[in-house]
Amino acid sequence: MIEFDHAWRTYGAKTAVADLSLSIPRGELFALLGPNGAGKTTTIRMLVGLLRPSRGAVRVCGRDLVRQTREAHLHIGYVPDEPCLYDKLTGREFLWFIADMFGLPRHVSQRRIEREIETFELGEFADDLAESYSLGMKQRLVFAAALLHDPDVLVLDEPMVGLDPRSVRIVKDLLEDRTREGMTVFMSTHTLALAEEMADRVGIMVRGQLRFLGTVGELRKQMSLESTSLEQLYLELTAPGAAGPRRRRQETPDSPH
Amino acid sequence: MSGGRASVSGIRIPGDPPRLLTVEQEAGRLLLLRTLSAWSTLRSMLAGARLRLGLVVVLSLLFWGSLYGLFTEAFTFLESMHADVISLLFNAFFSSLMVMLVFSTGILLYSGLYGSAEARLLLTLPVRPEAIFSHKFQEAVWFSSWGFVLLGSPMLVAYGRVHGGAWTYYALMLPFMISFVVIPATLGGMLCLFLVGWIPKLRLHALSIGLLASSLIAAWVAWSVLAAGGSERLNAAWFEQTFGRLAVTEQRVLPSWWLSSGLIESSRSGLASPDERSSLAEACKFLALLIANGLLLQMLAGWLARATYRVGYSHLACEATPRRQKRSGRFDSLLSDVGSRASRPLRLLIVKDLRLFRRDVSQWSQFVIFFGLLALYFFNVRSFDYNNTYKSMIGFLNLAVVGLILSTFTTRFVYPMISLEGRRFWILGLLPVHRDQIVWSKFLFAFLGSLLPCCGLVWLSDTMLGLGTPLVVVHEICCVMLCMGLSGIAVGLGARMPDLRESSPSKIAAGFGGTLSLVISSLFIMTVVIVAALPTHLYLATRSLGPDAAARGLFTWLGSPGGITASVAVVVALGLTATILPMFLGLRAFRRMELA
Repeated sequence: MIEFDHAWRTYGAKTAVADLSLSIPRGELFALLGPNGAGKTTTIRMLVGLLRPSRGAVRVCGRDLVRQTREAHLHIGYVPDEPCLYDKLTGREFLWFIADMFGLPRHVSQRRIEREIETFELGEFADDLAESYSLGMKQRLVFAAALLHDPDVLVLDEPMVGLDPRSVRIVKDLLEDRTREGMTVFMSTHTLALAEEMADRVGIMVRGQLRFLGTVGELRKQMSLESTSLEQLYLELTAPGAAGPRRRRQETPDSPH
Repeated sequence: MSGGRASVSGIRIPGDPPRLLTVEQEAGRLLLLRTLSAWSTLRSMLAGARLRLGLVVVLSLLFWGSLYGLFTEAFTFLESMHADVISLLFNAFFSSLMVMLVFSTGILLYSGLYGSAEARLLLTLPVRPEAIFSHKFQEAVWFSSWGFVLLGSPMLVAYGRVHGGAWTYYALMLPFMISFVVIPATLGGMLCLFLVGWIPKLRLHALSIGLLASSLIAAWVAWSVLAAGGSERLNAAWFEQTFGRLAVTEQRVLPSWWLSSGLIESSRSGLASPDERSSLAEACKFLALLIANGLLLQMLAGWLARATYRVGYSHLACEATPRRQKRSGRFDSLLSDVGSRASRPLRLLIVKDLRLFRRDVSQWSQFVIFFGLLALYFFNVRSFDYNNTYKSMIGFLNLAVVGLILSTFTTRFVYPMISLEGRRFWILGLLPVHRDQIVWSKFLFAFLGSLLPCCGLVWLSDTMLGLGTPLVVVHEICCVMLCMGLSGIAVGLGARMPDLRESSPSKIAAGFGGTLSLVISSLFIMTVVIVAALPTHLYLATRSLGPDAAARGLFTWLGSPGGITASVAVVVALGLTATILPMFLGLRAFRRMELA
């Protein structure tokens, strides 16, 4: 479903993402972790076609994000870190606009808009102008818009920011249901508990490089920290000067941690 | 919700999968989006900002009417001259406008295509890049050309009326204006796409050099036209020289020439006689030429957008930002460190605002452009010979212009400062700084910052006009009072009516408080200038016309040195009132304000 093929992205002389190779199959929930400035947002922006890789390729459902951008976009739903809405449109008008841009027939749009309004409990304010929404309301609306066309791939950049506990629960349950149905989720987050709870696999990125890729259990195993939380593992791995888990094990195979 | 699980009904509904839209469908959807937004904005304005809307309409009508009157007078005067004079003026006007439209549309599109949240959203949808370009282009054209419509329509209507144009002239006027605007606007858009997409590294340099070169050319043309031919103006030789210098604007390949020729032809057109019908056909040919070129350029721009927009967006987003120097400037250090310990927080707040101003290109660039253009104009005022009374009047008018320009800056940039500070009040609120100091720091920043450029400009204007020292002193006192009063109005009202929800300074300035600040500022400027100008004018008129024409009664006293001194005292009182009253209201409101 998602494929990063030796993807690089530089900002002038600085490398934001270095030689990222990653394949995420259908129905997987993947969480990308890493400290600030690690390259997570750059990775996500390459995945949604906002940025082009300096080298390598990014593909979604076999469509190259550079050469077949529009075709790839048909398969992607995107929830950015900062929700962007039209202040002078109501929530419902915004959803109609998004459904229209994805070329959904009117009757399908109608049903799906009602479905998302119900799912995200938008009914109370769906007909108010977006300029009057709180951050959480905006975030719920953006979620609804991203799911309207039933994307094969859902890309989430810090999805839980601004959501209240009930909305967080709704999103978690929805992600669970949708991944079971075959949707692939690519999520960047700082909320380690969320990744630990939901992700099938996690990737930990440090200074543009993927330091670890696998399940939380595999990470524990590799770092010889069987009973430690993901938070502790994460801090170990992303500490300044820390080496990757494989290299670390090779160098000090018996070091107690 | 039961068992810790929310009632999620988001089951995927089988249905038609998403599909790509045709070009027409994309354009239709984006047009619908624009219509809905515009309609909603209009409804909000009618419901919540009637005063502002009413003021805008009334002031626009007033402005339009004044321009119409001015142009009618000018065309009536020019009717007695050679027919080529009109053509020359039209060509000069439209060609200058063309250059301005290229740059203004290019700059607006640059921020619309590469810096807006909307563009970021649209780029993640399955939309063609050329459709996004077209969508943002319409917006940029609207914002860059409304001035042309406001300035150009009274001129063209006045020309038609003076020249006795038939209905065909008025019917063709709007299509001519629209089809003309599309050409420079599209060229500006293409320039923007080209610079960002193909030569991103040279982008800013090229833009700066282009702007600088255009400004220099415009300044050179204006200077050479006005400074030529010694002191004799409006004689045959002067006209001949001026025609020669402006010949560059009469090139037949320029759309401005097509427009002016088409308009002149259409003013002679009609359906009554064969000559009129022939002129109508000629005018329609020019219109067709404009439309055809506009459409061709639109096609080329669409192609360019398809080829470069996405790649340009990516390049621009991935450009390395230069690192700022860690050490602060000498001026900042001096301002922070020199002075009493008690006033240090106030000075530090001013230094912070100064840094924000220096690093916000949109603020200082507009400041430099507007005050630079004023300086250019003031340099040129000596090209004409005036008697003392006119010199004094022009001096006061120049003072009013400096004040009006300053008032637009205080409304646009100073008024929103408190509202913007309110959003990050948790930083300042936790510091050992009295709330009053925050408001006073804004006032001092605006007042001291505007003092030097404004007083410098007034001094330049007076020097170029050759005014005597007493008049220069009067003007400078007025200028100081204007700077103080305008800063007080903007900061005081900004603190009295803050908008803490809005993050965009332009939207804060465009609200009710900002509009009120602009209106009060304009009234204050007019009052100050009239109070100061009247006695001086009477004094100079009395001296130039002799004792027989001297004013009587109160006017005799007003036109004496005592009257001038009294008027200066009134100006100082007005300045202090305009400062103290809004600041008092603002400080009181800001002290009481509850911030989350």
